[in-house]
Amino acid sequence: MALKIEKTFDIPEPVEKVWAILSDPRKVATCVPGAQITKQVDEKTYKGAIKVKVGPSVTDYKGEVQIVRLDAQNHEIEILGKGQDVRGRGSASMKMTGKLRALDNGGTEVTSESEINVIGILAQMGSRVITEVSNIMFGEFVKNFQARLQQPSDAPEAQASGAESTPIDAKSLAWEAAKGLFRGKA
Amino acid sequence: MIHKTSPEIGGMGHSIKRKEDLRFIQGKGNYVDDVHLPGMVYGQLVRSPYAHARLKSVNTEKAKALPGVLAVITGEDLAKANLAWMPTLSYDKQMVLATGKVLFQSQEVAFVVAEDRYTAADAAELVEVEYEELPVLVDPHKALDADAPLLREDREQKDNHIFHWEVGDRQATEQVFQKAAVKASVHAFFPRCHPAPLETCGCVADFSRATGRLTVYLTSQAPHAHRTVFALVGGIPENNIRVISPDIGGGFGNKVPVYPGYVCAIVASLTLGVPVKWIETRSENLQSTGFARDYHMTAEIAADRDGKMQALRVKTLADHGAFNAAAQPTKFPAGLFSICTGSYEYPAAFCEVDGVYTNKAPGGIAYRCSFRVTEAAYLIERVVDVLALELKMDPAEVRRKNFIPPEKFPYKSSLGWTYDSGNYEGAMKVALDKIGYQQLRKEQEEKRKKGELMGIGISSFTEIVGAGPAHSFDILGIKMFDSCEIRIHPTGKAMARMGTKSQGQGHETTYAQIVAQELGIPAADVTIEEGDTDTAPYGLGTYASRSTPTSGAATAIAARKIRDKAKKIAAYLLECNEADLEWEPGKFYVKGAASKSKTIQEIAFAAYTNIPPGLEAGLEAVDYYDPPNLTFPFGTYVCVVDIDKGTGEVKVRRFVAVDDCGNIINPMIVEGQIHGGLTEGLAIAFMQQIDYDESGNVQGGSFMDYLLPTAVETPHWETDKTCTPSPHHPFGAKGVGESPNVGSPAAFVNAVVDALSHLGVKHIDMPITPWKVWKVLQEKGVAA
Repeated sequence: MALKIEKTFDIPEPVEKVWAILSDPRKVATCVPGAQITKQVDEKTYKGAIKVKVGPSVTDYKGEVQIVRLDAQNHEIEILGKGQDVRGRGSASMKMTGKLRALDNGGTEVTSESEINVIGILAQMGSRVITEVSNIMFGEFVKNFQARLQQPSDAPEAQASGAESTPIDAKSLAWEAAKGLFRGKA
Repeated sequence: MIHKTSPEIGGMGHSIKRKEDLRFIQGKGNYVDDVHLPGMVYGQLVRSPYAHARLKSVNTEKAKALPGVLAVITGEDLAKANLAWMPTLSYDKQMVLATGKVLFQSQEVAFVVAEDRYTAADAAELVEVEYEELPVLVDPHKALDADAPLLREDREQKDNHIFHWEVGDRQATEQVFQKAAVKASVHAFFPRCHPAPLETCGCVADFSRATGRLTVYLTSQAPHAHRTVFALVGGIPENNIRVISPDIGGGFGNKVPVYPGYVCAIVASLTLGVPVKWIETRSENLQSTGFARDYHMTAEIAADRDGKMQALRVKTLADHGAFNAAAQPTKFPAGLFSICTGSYEYPAAFCEVDGVYTNKAPGGIAYRCSFRVTEAAYLIERVVDVLALELKMDPAEVRRKNFIPPEKFPYKSSLGWTYDSGNYEGAMKVALDKIGYQQLRKEQEEKRKKGELMGIGISSFTEIVGAGPAHSFDILGIKMFDSCEIRIHPTGKAMARMGTKSQGQGHETTYAQIVAQELGIPAADVTIEEGDTDTAPYGLGTYASRSTPTSGAATAIAARKIRDKAKKIAAYLLECNEADLEWEPGKFYVKGAASKSKTIQEIAFAAYTNIPPGLEAGLEAVDYYDPPNLTFPFGTYVCVVDIDKGTGEVKVRRFVAVDDCGNIINPMIVEGQIHGGLTEGLAIAFMQQIDYDESGNVQGGSFMDYLLPTAVETPHWETDKTCTPSPHHPFGAKGVGESPNVGSPAAFVNAVVDALSHLGVKHIDMPITPWKVWKVLQEKGVAA
């Protein structure tokens, strides 16, 4: 099941500071709910994992994240992620493009475009649920991302050390997704 | 005409209340999941998340280590017993548990057995399966491309083609088309849908090591056929297998195939020596069991300028999924699809079907349908409307011009069927009068001037049911007769058993009414039992509207055999010749001396207490009925819709259903059948589809996405009837269960297209969702 998700949000921080995080998958991963980078393979490739729990269904993807394109001048990054559930319950891949633009007020506009392809148990829940789940996860991500910006830039990458990540508190994910549907939120 | 018995007897034509409802409405039914046996354990299937993947490893260690887990069975385990594959009902085979690779999402990969359901479910989560994804084939149109992935590596034939089947005269049909003045054509996709019975599939397999007998409580529409399949596949002597099909909560064809879960439960019970219960979840039922339709059809009609049809040409691509598991008669790979000439006369016709494999769940025949008649009826009724548009002629008029006239029955169609009886124009007239057709057309004209969208859809369908005559109908070689055994007890009460199996159709009532009609024993005094292969006579089960045409006929004939013997006893008791006796329901009397009579109850008592010399004791009979032909119920449905230009929502304003199923056993039950079938037809037309995305993920695998109609969506149904008895059936009945599901989709779609036809719309594929209609309205620039 293929999904395309486009999001734009503003951050009241200068573009270079935001770029310092966005351009480093290890730092970005700390903001993605349930995700962790377990190993750096080479300059552009990382091993990682993400746990997603929707209602009764937990998927535990392990895979690779690769930086396909890094354009520091224009503040653009393209990332390719691929993973398989460790117990064979499905797979997922994602191509994400992130782009930053300096705003007149000194802040930064972040634009992201993601193409996600999900196969297996999660995909059976249908695009309406998965889109909602993505929305919720994205909301969490933005919150974490902003919190991350408040930390000193040399803060340790806690999760990159291989510590167990906590999946997004998903007891509510299915419920939130359902509520989103009934609100008619896209 | 059928002689009408007194209300006390309650024979044919009486709307007596359903006997079985007393227990159903009290929650006292006994379904498979109500079966609890001492020491019973529970099975749970592990299913594939992928539509097509190489199976690299199945690790069961963690699952086996969970306390309470008794066994984990894999495809490799079954392969050792030569049970990894099983035959389907269409001379294909399918995997019980996957070995080598998986071919559809939700395919069965392993079977976990545990002391309770929760442990079984938890343990299934612990089974670790390693897959390697393979290219997925979802679009059947690409199945035969040179670069299409090969799905069935197990077959000798190295492509995805299952069968090519054709019937009719190709050349004669081509010639007519070359010279045709008018041609109409439609590409119509009948989407994959699913019966979604209230009760999902399941079983309790109970193998006793003490007796060597296997008892299987099974959600089965065909318990005898399943017993034979289990004997053939499992190598268990058939006398040591007892299949019990208890109360069944709706079948609609979904409970005809043999599913891997049944086989796994049986294997587990044989291995563990305890009863094993396996019950599907709702999503498992929707995602892996017998679906329906998935036919991509093209129909073309060649006609004269004045609207007389000259030829019909049909080409179809059938998507069978990963295994050809369609339950259908051997000789008919596309079922009875060649009934696609419908209610009309064509000098020439040709029909061809190609079946292909895709990475989807197997099945392909189910859903209240006599082997593809639904697809055929939908297609012909759709293309006739397109012809009416081409001719700028009223669709009712086009139908009237081309109906097979009543005097031409029995009528041999150009695709080979001999229709038993019909009066199509008669049924259409009743329907059009009842709905006020002419008035509605005037209203439509006025509404169009105001820019409002309203449509009227007609469907004058013909069914083909009651499979079937042994000379051409069999499933896996077993001829499609059916049976009845009647025993009259000394006190004049009766017990009758059939080879069919009710799933909610009301057999306990209607069969009792047939016995009442034939013997005059009150229907209340006749107990009907089906579904236990140890007690019921052999039969092929209930589907394809075949119970009344086959077992119903057998019941009448068995009763007549009893009546013949009763006459001998009556003559003995009345001290007269048999020739001097007259029958009226419930008693024999001496001609000209009506007071000299013996009731059937008195005769029954004598059969055990005062037996005439030279006659066997008892009063019993059995009949195996091989119908001489199929029966052809028909009808006309008319639907009126209004379309909301703002939302694209279609509102069914009125729906008139006129059915002709010959002589009726219980009018109330027939009406109930029609209400139910129309509601299902509504859902198919507007709401339901088991769809797959490009990766083969099921997109209709739960009730969140696969919608069921409720009272809110369902309009008021107006029903009526005409009566054209079947000339060959013992009491002139034809079968009706499927008619409303077969006939109604075209009426709904024709109504929607009729509402939009002045905008140039000729066809919209089902399900006609508001979104689909709204897009058309946008395209045509008329959206509000």
